[in-house]
Amino acid sequence: MGKIVDLEEGLELVQKGITKLTNILEGRAEPSFITDECMMLYTTIFNIASRNHPQDHSQLLYDKYRELLEEYLTSEALPALSEKHDEVMLLELVHRWKNYKVMVRWLTHFFFYINRYYIPRRSLTPLAEVGLNCFRQLVYQVLKDKVRDAVISLINRERDGEQVDKTLLKNVLNIFVEIGSGKTHYYETDFEAHMLRETSTYYSQKASIWIVEDSCPDYMFKAEECLKREKDRALHYLHEISEPKLLQKVEDELLSPYTNQLLENETSGCHVLIRDNKVDDLSRMCRLFYKIASGMNLISEIIKQQVTAELTVLMKQAEDAASNKKPEKKDEIGLQELVLVRSVIELNAKYLAFSNDCFQNNSPLRKPLKEVFEVFCNKGFSGNSCVELLATFCDHTLKKGATKNSSEAVEDTIEKTVKLLAYVNDKDLFAEIHRKKLARRLLFNRSAHDDYERSMLKKLEQQFGWQVTWKMEGMVTDMTLAREIQSSFEEYLKSNRQENPGTDLSVTVLTTRFWPGYKSHDFNLPSELIKCVQAFKIFYETTYRRKLTWLYSLGSCNINAKFGERTIELIVTTHQAAVLMLFNSADRLGYSEIKSQLAMTDDEVTRLLHSLSCARYKILNKEPNSQSISRTDYFEFNSEFTEAMKRIKIPPPPVDERNKVIQDVDKGREYAIDAAIVRIMKNRKVIVYQQLVVECMEHLNHVFKPDIKAIKKRIEALITREYLERDQKNPSIFRYLA
Amino acid sequence: MHKLGRGHRDKVQQFMAITGSSEKAAVQALKASDWHLEGAFDIFYSQPHIRTVTDSRHLEELYNRYKDPYVDMILVDGITLLCNDLQVDPQDIVMLVVSWHMKAATMCEFSRQEFIGGLQYLGIDTIEKFRDKLSYMRSELKDEQKFREIYNFAFGWAKEKGQKSLALDTAIGMWQLLFAERHWPLVDHWCQFLQVRHNKAISRDTWSQLLEFAKTVDLQLSNYDEEGAWPYLIDEFVEYLTENGIVQRPQN
Repeated sequence: MGKIVDLEEGLELVQKGITKLTNILEGRAEPSFITDECMMLYTTIFNIASRNHPQDHSQLLYDKYRELLEEYLTSEALPALSEKHDEVMLLELVHRWKNYKVMVRWLTHFFFYINRYYIPRRSLTPLAEVGLNCFRQLVYQVLKDKVRDAVISLINRERDGEQVDKTLLKNVLNIFVEIGSGKTHYYETDFEAHMLRETSTYYSQKASIWIVEDSCPDYMFKAEECLKREKDRALHYLHEISEPKLLQKVEDELLSPYTNQLLENETSGCHVLIRDNKVDDLSRMCRLFYKIASGMNLISEIIKQQVTAELTVLMKQAEDAASNKKPEKKDEIGLQELVLVRSVIELNAKYLAFSNDCFQNNSPLRKPLKEVFEVFCNKGFSGNSCVELLATFCDHTLKKGATKNSSEAVEDTIEKTVKLLAYVNDKDLFAEIHRKKLARRLLFNRSAHDDYERSMLKKLEQQFGWQVTWKMEGMVTDMTLAREIQSSFEEYLKSNRQENPGTDLSVTVLTTRFWPGYKSHDFNLPSELIKCVQAFKIFYETTYRRKLTWLYSLGSCNINAKFGERTIELIVTTHQAAVLMLFNSADRLGYSEIKSQLAMTDDEVTRLLHSLSCARYKILNKEPNSQSISRTDYFEFNSEFTEAMKRIKIPPPPVDERNKVIQDVDKGREYAIDAAIVRIMKNRKVIVYQQLVVECMEHLNHVFKPDIKAIKKRIEALITREYLERDQKNPSIFRYLA
Repeated sequence: MHKLGRGHRDKVQQFMAITGSSEKAAVQALKASDWHLEGAFDIFYSQPHIRTVTDSRHLEELYNRYKDPYVDMILVDGITLLCNDLQVDPQDIVMLVVSWHMKAATMCEFSRQEFIGGLQYLGIDTIEKFRDKLSYMRSELKDEQKFREIYNFAFGWAKEKGQKSLALDTAIGMWQLLFAERHWPLVDHWCQFLQVRHNKAISRDTWSQLLEFAKTVDLQLSNYDEEGAWPYLIDEFVEYLTENGIVQRPQN
C-alpha cells in the first residue's frame, strides 16, 4: 500500500498543505493545488490512519482536523474581524464565512478516510459538522451581537429612506441560518427576536407622530406603504419565516391601537368616506383592517348605521308625503311609495357596488348590508307589506308608458330591483303577486315589451329558481301564440263569411296551468255574444281539438250607447255589457229581474250595478238615488247622460284579491313542504326529527322561510298518509315507508 | 295430588277449572310461581305449548247465543247479552281487554273469527271460564308493556271504519277510561284543551305519542323539549298549560 509513513513526517506534510490552502484563501501569492498534491495529502492521511500502520492514529488525526481549523480561525479570521465595525465588518464576515466553507470542504476531502471509516465506527461527529461547530464557537458566538446590531441599524436606515446593500444583508442573515445547519433556531433567537422588537419600537414612534398629524386616509396610505415595504424587505433579505411576524408587528403598532381613532374620526373617518363616496380610501380601509377583527366589526357597524340612517330618511320622506294622501286612498300604493322603492333599490345598489369594489366576492360587508335591508324588506310601510310595494313597483316599471326611459334604464331598474328582492323572506308571495299583475298587464295589453318581461323573469329565475318563474314564462309565450290563433280566426272568418257572428270578436286563448286561477261561472250572455262564442268555438275546436273554458270576468266590450242624439262608445267589462244590453229590450228593470235574467250571484249583481249607477259615470239611473245597491232598487237607462269625450271607459267593480293571494301562497307552501319532506325521506330513509327540520328549511329557504310549526304539521299529515312512520323505540326518529 | 297440602290442592283445582289444563300442568305452573295463582296464570299463558284444548262445539254454541239473527257477527245486542252473562258493565274497561285479545277490528262488534279465535286463544269455552278469566284480564292492564299495546289497539278499535282519525268525543271517552286505570293527572286538562282549542279528530300519531308524553314528561313539564319531535298538538297543550298558569315551568 505504499511505504509506512512516519507520523511526524505525515503531519508535517499535512501542515504544509494547510498552509498552502490558507495562503490561497487569503489571496497571498501561491500557486493552486495540482492533482498530485491533493492525492498526496489524501494518501498521507490514509497511510497514517489505515489499519496497516502499526499504531492507529485515527483519533489523533481527528483531533488534528479540529486543531487545524481552530488555528485557521484564530490566526486569520478573528483578527480581521475584530478590528472592523458596522457595514465593513459585515462585509468581512461574509468574506470570512465563504472562505471558511472552502477550507472546510478541502480539509474534509483530505481527511476523507477518517470521515468514511473511523468516525462512523466510533459514532463521532462528522467532519463537516465539526467545522461548523468550530466557526460557531470561535467566531459566531463572539460576534453575533455586534453583527445583529449592525444589521438592524442598516434596516432602520433603509426604513428612513437610505439605499442599503441588500445582497450583503441577505448573505449575513444566511449565515445565521447556515450556522444552525439549515434550521432557523439561531436565526430566530439571535437575530429575529431583536429585529422584531426594534421594528415595534420604530413603528410605535412613527405611529404616535402620524396619528396626530395625518387625516385618516393619509395615515392609512402611509400604513399601507409601510406594510408594502416591509414585505419587500422580507422578500429581499430576511428568511421567509419572518414575513408574517414582521407584518404582524407593523399592524400591531400602526393599526390595532388606533383602530377606533381612525375609523371613528369625525372629519375623515369611515362614515365620512362613505358619505363622500371615496371608494379608493374605503377599499384601502377594508384591506388594512381585514385581519383585525375589531376593525372589521367597527366598519360593519358604521356602514350599518350609515345605511340605516339613509334608509330612515327615505322612509320619513315617504311617510310625510303619504300623510297628505286622501283618506280613501290611504291604503293604495301611490307615487310616494314608488319613489321610496326606487330610492331604496338605488341605495342597495350603491352599497353593493361599493362592497364589491372593496372586496369582490365574499365581502365581509355583505352581512351588515343584508341585515339592514332585510329589516326593511320584511316589514310593512303605511299599511302595505313590502312585498306588495315591490310587486307594484315592478308592475309600474314594466307597464307601457310608465317610463319613457331608454331600454338600458329599464334593464338597470330591473336588475337593481331583483337584487333587493334577494332580501325578501316571502319570495313565493312576491312571485304570486307579480304573476297576477303580469296577467293583468298581458291580458289588457299594458305590458311595455315582452323583452322586458322576459328579462325580469330570467333574473328572478336566477335568484329564486325555475320553480317560481316557469309559469310566468308560459304566460308570456301564451300571448304570442294567442295572437297567432286570433289571426287564424280572422282569416277563417274571411273565408267563411257565413260563420261571422256579426260582432267583432277578439279571443285570447290561455294555457290553464300557467295562469292564475280565474273563476268562471257561466251566466246568461246576451244573444249577440252567444253567437260570438259559438263562432269561435267551432273554429277552435275543429282546428285544435282542446276544451275551452270561457273567462268572461276578464273580457271587455266596446259598446255604442245612444244618449239622445249623441252616441258615445263605452268600454266596459263583458259582465257590465250584459247588464246594459238588458235595457235594449226593457226601459226599467228591478234588481231581482236583472239578477234572474243574468243568472249571477247577489254579490256580483250588486257590484256591477254599483259600477254603472253609483260611480263616476252614471249610465243607469237608480231608484232610490242612494249610494248603495239594495234588492228593492229599480234601474233605468240614463238617456240624459252627457260626457264631453266620445269614448269613455267605465271602471269595472274593484276586486280585492289580497286574501286569495295569501291563501294560494299558503296552500302552495304546504305542497312545497310536503314535497321537500318526501324528497329528503326518500333520500335518507331514516332520519332524526331535528335533522329533518334543518334539511327541510335548507331546501326551501331560497323561496320562503318555513315556519317550524308548519313543518311539524306537514310531517304529521304525511304520517297519517303513511309516507313515513316513527321508529318504534325512538319516537324522534322517522322512517320512510316506500 | 295426595302429596300436596290441602291449600295447594284447592289451588290446583281452581287453576284447572279456570285454565282447563291438566293436573300436571297446573302443579307445574303453581310450583313455578310459588303457589300464587296470579303468577301461575301468567306462566301458564306465556307458554304456548301448554295451550288448552277448547271444545269447539261449546264455542259454536256460545257464538250462536250472541250472534245477530241476520248477520254473521255479534253486534250491539249480542254484546249487551254477553256482558250481562259475564255480570260486567258494557262500559267496563275489561271489555276493551277482551276485544284486544280477540283482535277485534271495531268496537261494538265481533266477527265469528274474532270471537271464536279469541276465546280459543284464551282457552275459554264456557261462560263460567270466561267470567273467571276476567280478573286476570284486568290485571293485564297493570303491565306496562301490555297497557301500551292495549292503549294503541284502542285507537284503531274505537274509530269509525274507513276513517283515518278518531272522533274527538270518542277519543276523550277512551282517554277517560284508560287513564282511570293508569293514572295521569293532566288527563282532564288535556281533554278540556282539546275541546276548547282543537275541536277536531285525533290522528293516530297524536294518540300514540300522548301515552309517551304521559309516561315520560313530569308534571312540571321540566323535561319537556319543545324543539323535540312531539306532535304539534302536544306542543300546543304545553303552551296552553303554561299560558293558563296550570303548570309553572321551572325557568332554566
